[in-house]
Amino acid sequence: MSEFEPGLVHTPVTPFTRDNRIDYDTFAKLIEFHLRSGADSLALPMHIGESVSLTDEEQRALLAFAIKQVNGRKPIIAHASDAGSAIAADRARHAQGLGAAAIVATTPYYWTPPAHMIVEHFAAIGAAVSVPFFVYNSPEEMPGSKITAELCLKLIDRLPNFAGVVDLSLDWQFMIELLTYAKRRREGFALIAGTEHMVSAAATGATGLFSPLAGVAPKLIRKLYDSCRKDQLVEARGAQEAVAALRQHLKSSGHFKVALRTMGRDCGVPRPPLQAPDAETARALAATLEPMLRDEPRGF
Amino acid sequence: MQNKFRGVMQSPITPLKDDYSLDLPTFEKVLDFHVRTGAPAISWPHHKGESLSLTIPERKRFAEATVKVVAGRVPVTIHVSALAVEDTMELAQHAQRIGANGILAITPYFWTPTREAIHDYFIRLCTSIDLPVLSYNSPSYLAGVEITGDLMSRLIERLPNFVGVKEASFNSEKFLEISRVALSLRPNFALLTGVEFLLPSVPLGGVGSYSAAGSVCPNLCAALFEACMAGEWPRARELQYKMTRLWHLFKDQYPSSLKGGMVIMGRPVGPTRPPLPTATKERQVFIEKELADMGVLDSEPHGW
Repeated sequence: MSEFEPGLVHTPVTPFTRDNRIDYDTFAKLIEFHLRSGADSLALPMHIGESVSLTDEEQRALLAFAIKQVNGRKPIIAHASDAGSAIAADRARHAQGLGAAAIVATTPYYWTPPAHMIVEHFAAIGAAVSVPFFVYNSPEEMPGSKITAELCLKLIDRLPNFAGVVDLSLDWQFMIELLTYAKRRREGFALIAGTEHMVSAAATGATGLFSPLAGVAPKLIRKLYDSCRKDQLVEARGAQEAVAALRQHLKSSGHFKVALRTMGRDCGVPRPPLQAPDAETARALAATLEPMLRDEPRGF
Repeated sequence: MQNKFRGVMQSPITPLKDDYSLDLPTFEKVLDFHVRTGAPAISWPHHKGESLSLTIPERKRFAEATVKVVAGRVPVTIHVSALAVEDTMELAQHAQRIGANGILAITPYFWTPTREAIHDYFIRLCTSIDLPVLSYNSPSYLAGVEITGDLMSRLIERLPNFVGVKEASFNSEKFLEISRVALSLRPNFALLTGVEFLLPSVPLGGVGSYSAAGSVCPNLCAALFEACMAGEWPRARELQYKMTRLWHLFKDQYPSSLKGGMVIMGRPVGPTRPPLPTATKERQVFIEKELADMGVLDSEPHGW
């Protein structure tokens, strides 16, 4: 397995038309925007891209479209999570066939299997491909199935292509314990911050960042990421606080698309069951965000 | 003015005789050991000191011994958290009477109090004494009961002696929010964490921590703090990883294994009170092997 460094990974939303179909014209423009705005890699369709609301066929078509559009300019990490191990493994295999540079997947949706079954689930997905495989640890989104450092060590023994963890837990104990032990077994094992709380993660040794917010504030995110990678951790605190403030307003997917529209990059509204905020909430949100995003690029 | 609560502060374990009664002469040695090996402050009795397995009279007796033995060489705080809030109030009064330099208090146990109840608790506690108060936030141990940024700001604005927090959520987002709020209102607020988690906290405004493993490895504690404060991050990472291996070793049956480790380091402190177990001979052999593998036996002081 060759070493793959995801770097600053932008995670684009999925634009929808008024009648709820994937809006590929806008998606092409959005991809170009991400590539121009500092993405080292793209990961899609992540949860911010409403992966769970796309059919299997749509997920495959979306990935194929993105790979064609990017045309080798940057690596694409394909998200293959599903409830069933075989469904997820098959999607991962297909993604590698299309040219995905790596695969990322989280614990099974809905089921809350014990640790040894989670290991089997990940082993099935990871073994379906030869490209690097990343585990997505998101305890808030996936309550009931806990990813521990111990579980990851077992997976290292099982999968030669298990390359790292994308961490949304923000949990210092998990991050430090994971790196302390995983790096002793697999030197290139990577911790990747799964939210834009990068400073503490980078301090512990994280080398990458999955960022939904990069679609809204790419300059700020790039600044935060670069400072962290240069080990200017104390200096990064200002950017980190600005990012944290922005995150507070954009936690829900409906709000996120309002932010994109505010920045002149209209990607429609989310698919059901997610709901866009009502007009008044959206106006208030836009007014709040405007001064926070003054230095960020407008339009596609 | 720089806050006096900073660095890797030591919270001594509580030595017990074979019949589980308090061992005062050994406690005096433990205290003296910590001060001589560079502890910037002493705080007793943390959970690691089996606080909740001690009676209130026992806690008072050893609090007095702590102040007396440390004798002003470094600041002493008394951990006053007790199951009954009324006992906490009494321990706080006592700490002030005996000349401690501050107290530490966690959010109330067991009842999962509302935010307003936590607010009222700290108001009552802090206004009952003149000593500086360090709060203790530990949502993962207390069913999500926590001091949020918003609550922190209300307490700081209201209470001049609310001077710091042991922030033990070990969570990037929570720590950053508390740091942002607290330092904007009180720039020398002591933003501390638990278990020597300095690496992720110092870049966000942290100035120190309490220590889990300091009775085994005071040199490592000091080196890690220095590396973090100097911004020597690659070195700090290496030291933090080493510290993590120690935490991994000791957190199992904490503080039983730590007491087991102290035997290996030539500083035996007796058993651990039930319901916690006492480290068996086999466990001690395992701990010794691990400490040897980490190089701790060579790099840290042996004996008192």
